[in-house]
This record gives sequence, C-alpha cells and structure tokens, in this order.
Amino acid sequence: MKHLKSMNKKAHLINQAINPEQVEEVVAMQTVVGCTATTDPGWELDPFGGLGSLCQPMESDLYGCADACWWPAQVPDTMSTYPDWGNGVAKADEDWRKLDGIFEDGE
Amino acid sequence: MALINNKTKKALSGSGVLLLAGLASLPLAAQEGHQLLRNNCGVCHAESGSADNPVFSRISEQRKSPEGWLMTINRMVHLRDVEISADDKRNLVRYLADTQGLAPDEAAPFRYLLEQDTNLIETGVDAELVETCARCHSGARFALQRRTEQEWQYLVDFHMGQFPTTELHALSRDRAWYEIARNQTASTLALQYALDTPEWSQWQSEPKADVTGRWRVVGFVPGKGEFDAVMLAERADDGRYDLSITGRYADGSELSGDGKATLYTGYEWRASLTLDGVRMRQVMALDEQGLSGRMFLAAEREIGGSIQAIQDQGEAAVLALLPSFVRKGEHAEVEVIGHNLQADSLSLGAGVVIEQILSQGPDSIRVRVSATGDEGIYPVQLGDVAQSAGLAVYEQVARVDVLPQDAVARIGGGGMMAKVRTAYRVVGYSAGPDGIPGTEDDLRLGYMPASWQILPADEEAEHDQDHIYAGEIDANGIFTPGIDGPNPERRMSANNVGRLTVVATVTDGEEVVEGSGNLLVSVPDFVRRVLD
Ligand code: HEC
Ligand code: HEC
Repeated sequence: MKHLKSMNKKAHLINQAINPEQVEEVVAMQTVVGCTATTDPGWELDPFGGLGSLCQPMESDLYGCADACWWPAQVPDTMSTYPDWGNGVAKADEDWRKLDGIFEDGE
Repeated sequence: MALINNKTKKALSGSGVLLLAGLASLPLAAQEGHQLLRNNCGVCHAESGSADNPVFSRISEQRKSPEGWLMTINRMVHLRDVEISADDKRNLVRYLADTQGLAPDEAAPFRYLLEQDTNLIETGVDAELVETCARCHSGARFALQRRTEQEWQYLVDFHMGQFPTTELHALSRDRAWYEIARNQTASTLALQYALDTPEWSQWQSEPKADVTGRWRVVGFVPGKGEFDAVMLAERADDGRYDLSITGRYADGSELSGDGKATLYTGYEWRASLTLDGVRMRQVMALDEQGLSGRMFLAAEREIGGSIQAIQDQGEAAVLALLPSFVRKGEHAEVEVIGHNLQADSLSLGAGVVIEQILSQGPDSIRVRVSATGDEGIYPVQLGDVAQSAGLAVYEQVARVDVLPQDAVARIGGGGMMAKVRTAYRVVGYSAGPDGIPGTEDDLRLGYMPASWQILPADEEAEHDQDHIYAGEIDANGIFTPGIDGPNPERRMSANNVGRLTVVATVTDGEEVVEGSGNLLVSVPDFVRRVLD
C-alpha cells in the first residue's frame, strides 16, 4: 500500500499487516505531534496512514466518537471532561460552524 | 492520598500572623511562594514538613517546565473548581518552576514542545512509552516532567478515571492496560524521569546569569524574512523584564516593538511582545552562548521561526553572518552582525578575502568578499579571537532539506475554528568531502530562498484531488489549508483534507535542486493545550 509512506515512519511494519484487525498487534503508529495514534477509527489518519478509512466528513459521526472520549486530546470528551461541548449543535453535519475549540489560557 | 487538610484550613483562619512570623527567616520569594501554595492549594493538598522545607501532598513530588505547571494549575481550575487570581497564578507558576523545575540538560532533548515547534515525528521516546502513553498526546509532555514512582502511578490513575475508554483503544484492549501502565510503565518512567537527579542538584547550586542589558538578535518571521535587531531588557518591579526591540528585515523594512519577559528556573526565557502591532511570543533557553529558541505568532503558534541573541558584555562578539554562505570563486556581500565590532580587526581566514568594507558600525559591518579558498567553513576572526559564526564556502548545492519534513495543517475558517497553517523553509547543503549528498559529512550552508509547490502525495491523493481541495502554498512557503465543513463536491462530501507533498526548488546559478516534505491536511484539533 503506497500511501503509507508519507506520514508514518513505521509504515513498513504496518504494511505487513493483512487486515485492519491485525494492525494493532504490530506497533503504535507514530504521527506528527498533536495527532492521535488511536486509529480505530482515527481522527487525523486511518490505520494505514491514509484518509480512506476515516469517518469522513468528520461531522457525520462526531458525537458517536467524542461521547466515548475516543480522542480526548483532539476532540473534547463529553463523557467526563467537557460535558457541555456540542450543546446547541445537535447535528454537527448541519451546525458545524458553531463547534468551538477548547483553548487553554497560555499566558 | 491525603488531599483534604483540616489543619491547614484552621491555621489559615486562626493564626495567620503567627504563621507569617514563623516564616520570617526565609528569603522573601520562598516565603511568598509558600504562602501562595497555602492560600490557593492548601485546602485540598495537605501540608507537612517544616517551615524551611514545606511539603504539599501531590505537589512537592513533581518537577516540570513552567508550561507543565501552568497546565496543572489550569487543570485544577477546570476540573477541581479552584479559583485563583491571574497574578497568583503567574507568581505560583514562577515559584514552582524555580523550585521544582527542570535542569537545562533535562529539558534539552524536548525543547521542541516548549518552543511549540510540533511539526515533527518524535524520536526521543521509548517504544514502551509510545505504546502506553505517547499515543494520545506527545511523549515530550511527560518527558518534560520528573516524578517519584508513586506520582507516576497517580498520574496513571488520573488518566484511568478521567478517560476510561483508554482501555478500549487499540494497544490497550489486547492487554491489561491499567495494570501494565500502573506497575510497569510507572516504574520505567520513574527510572527515566526520576524526581531526584544529579542534573537538578547541580543546576540548583549553580549561580544564575543576569539577563538585563543589551542583546543583539537575529531571527526569522514567516512571510517577512530574516531580521536582525537590538533588544533591551530592564528589570521591572514585578520581577519580570521590560523589553524593547528595534531592527530591520533583510529587505530593509523596519521592525520595532516592546513587551515583557520572564526568566524561569534561571534559564527558561519566555517573552510576550507586540512587534509592529502583531503579538508574538519568544521561547528561548539561556546558556553560556546566549539565548536561543523560537519566536512565533501568539495567535498561531505554528507560524514562527528560530531566534538567537547574545548579550553585550562589553567585548566584541559576532552573532551571525547574513548570508552564511558564498559559492567558491564568487564575490558576495555579507553582513557581520554582533556587538562592539571594529572593521579593522575583522578577518575570515585565508580562503575568504575581504575586498571592500561597504559600511561599518559597532553592531554591523557590511563587507564585499571573494571566496578564493576550498570548500569549508571559515570562522569569523575578531583580532585573534575566533567566533563561533562562520562563512561556508561551497562548490555546489547538492541537497536541500524542506523544514518541517513532516507537518500537519488543519482546515478551518468557516466557523469557530481557525485554519492551522504551516510555515516552510529550506536548508541547503553541499555534498561535503565524500561528494555524496545525504551523508554525515554534508556541509550545512544555511537557509536558502526557494520556490514552492504542492503535489498529491500519491495516486490515491491524486485520485481524490487532494492538491486541489486541501489548500495552497504561497511564494513565502506558507501553506494555507482549505475551509472546514463537509464539501459536497468531494466523494461522500469529505472535508477538504488531504495528503500532500510539498516541493521546494532552489536555483543556484545554473543548477536547480529540489527537496520535499510530507504534509497532512487534517480536521481541526478542538483541544488546544499549552503543551501538545
Ligand atoms: C478543590 C481541591 C483542590 C485544590 C484547591 C487544588 N487541587 Fe490540585 N488536585 C486536586 C485533586 C482532587 C487532585 C487529584 C486528581 C487530579 O490529578 O486531578 C489534584 C492533583 C494535583 C496535582 C497532581 C497532578 C498530576 O498531574 O499528577 C498537582 C501537581 C496539583 N494538584 C497542584 C495543585 C496546585 C498547584 C494547586 C493550587 C493552585 C491545587 N492543586 C489546588 C484537588 C485540588
Ligand atoms: C487516552 C489518551 C491518553 C493516553 C493513553 C495517555 N494520556 Fe496523558 N493525557 C491525556 C489527556 C486528554 C490529557 C489532558 C488532561 C486535561 O487537561 O484534561 C493528558 C494529560 C497528561 C499530562 C499532563 C497532566 C498535568 O496536568 O500535569 C501528562 C504528564 C500525561 N498526560 C502523561 C501521560 C502518561 C505518562 C501516559 C501513559 C501512562 C499518558 N499520559 C497516557 C490523554 C492520554
């Protein structure tokens, strides 16, 4: 699978996996700082280092993923840390413009 | 874990005066810091130990960067409903970073995270720790902390309680994540990142430098270019430094601004400045050479560049040469940037002839040189003293590295989330003595001008037309991603995400050299922490 090469140093290892279920037995995928290596499903990258197996567009099943705090460092986890995130944005695929980020006070 | 402390509460309301009297023998900063901890944290974090050496449960057995402390206090505010004034917070971060910080050598391998230079794939973290820990956030987030084994275990417990789905992820659900993390990973962490280290004891006993005075600065601002400047630092009443900076960019346009800096732990320089109306931050480390690190837009931390400064110690010193390379057999204009310079004491060694002095002043000398010698680095000499800056004489640009090599940009701009852009630069190398580019002995020449282009990363990206939808790159090497939201033009209304190859083309005389980098254009990051 050619498209593995770009973002993923250990792609050759993952490349040896025959199907997605076997991927997790191989090795953690290393990605650019700030991205999650949790790729089942992934937020930035799928288990193959590509985009083909992501939930796309991301708005389509956003809460299904965020409610379960699947990527708590990228999408606010509404299970325990940010219960109110997404309030007033019932359908992310229609109201995505209102989704705001959590910005920590960096001063 | 004895978090609730009735004794402290009583002591605070009952006999505050006596408490203060008991502390009178301590230096003021320590006394104030101690009081800040009591006032803001003591209700939950039990105090023990002595007046000279107070211990607060969960707080005293950790060390971390100023940003690390800031994140913890922010977490106390958000998750534990702590109320703390902006002043107390700032002073407490300073006190904790000074008394429970990191030694320069401890922070050195992970400075990229402090500098917010996160467009990279980490290499400095153990495979075991990558699997257990560095898969939601960076490895540097914890590699920039030091704790006892028990404190590492408590941190695992916090994760388990706060993010229970951790156990269900790949690399967790196939094993007993919590047991492994608590029993094995915590002891690995306690070995690699121990609370008590020789580095920290050593650093605490060393005298700390004074940063007041005049600094000569060189740096880079994406879209504007390289600049050189003079920065003045004066001590302010609040223990910070008042800064003013004036200089100019390589194209001749002027630069000026002012701001404030704090020096944490005796070497961690953090400044907030307004440069020509734009808020910027500096994150630098102080050592015997001076200050070095990164300056970036306060509102957009991905957009920044390297910055270096040397302090005026009364002696002549060179900070940098612009440009830092000349082709063998050619003539060029070079600016020598430093302090207390005198043109008549300047030389560049036997292979570089100074043909003419074009202008001179104590901060800068512009010369016309002729590169007559062989390929190599020719250090600047001031009288008999060789400086660390030098001029590279090269035969041919053989390789160009695109920086960052791996990057992520993020779509935005349609709603609440801003676009996350990427700023690119190119470093040129000659092949070095072995004549083969890409080997250890390649000669680093410096940053070079380039023209920029994006291509789809592979066939699949081409098929999905990622290079059309995901964004564009400008003449300055700044990539701007596409707008967020579903795009009905794309298959399944996909977002404007994509995988791209960023290609830089450097033209040097007759020769054209290309380099490339990997760029992922992704969805927004809705959780932006002080440290990724
Ligand atoms: C209202 C109670 C409360 C107050 C006040 C409070 N904390 Fe905490 N703190 C907690 C609790 C509960 C934990 C353990 C759970 C956790 O880690 O969030 C904790 C944990 C911590 C930890 C360990 C975190 C880690 O990463 O392992 C540190 C350090 C800390 N607090 C510092 C502070 C500081 C500094 C203050 C004062 C500004 C403060 N706390 C005020 C309740 C409090
Ligand atoms: C499931 C994803 C996930 C995993 C796995 C994970 N973390 Fe975290 N970690 C987070 C999130 C999210 C935060 C931010 C907490 C907050 O501020 O709400 C965090 C915060 C932290 C912090 C900062 C806490 C502070 O306030 O000082 C440290 C340090 C840390 N993690 C270390 C680790 C270590 C060590 C491991 C491995 C044992 C680990 N993390 C595993 C998601 C994760």
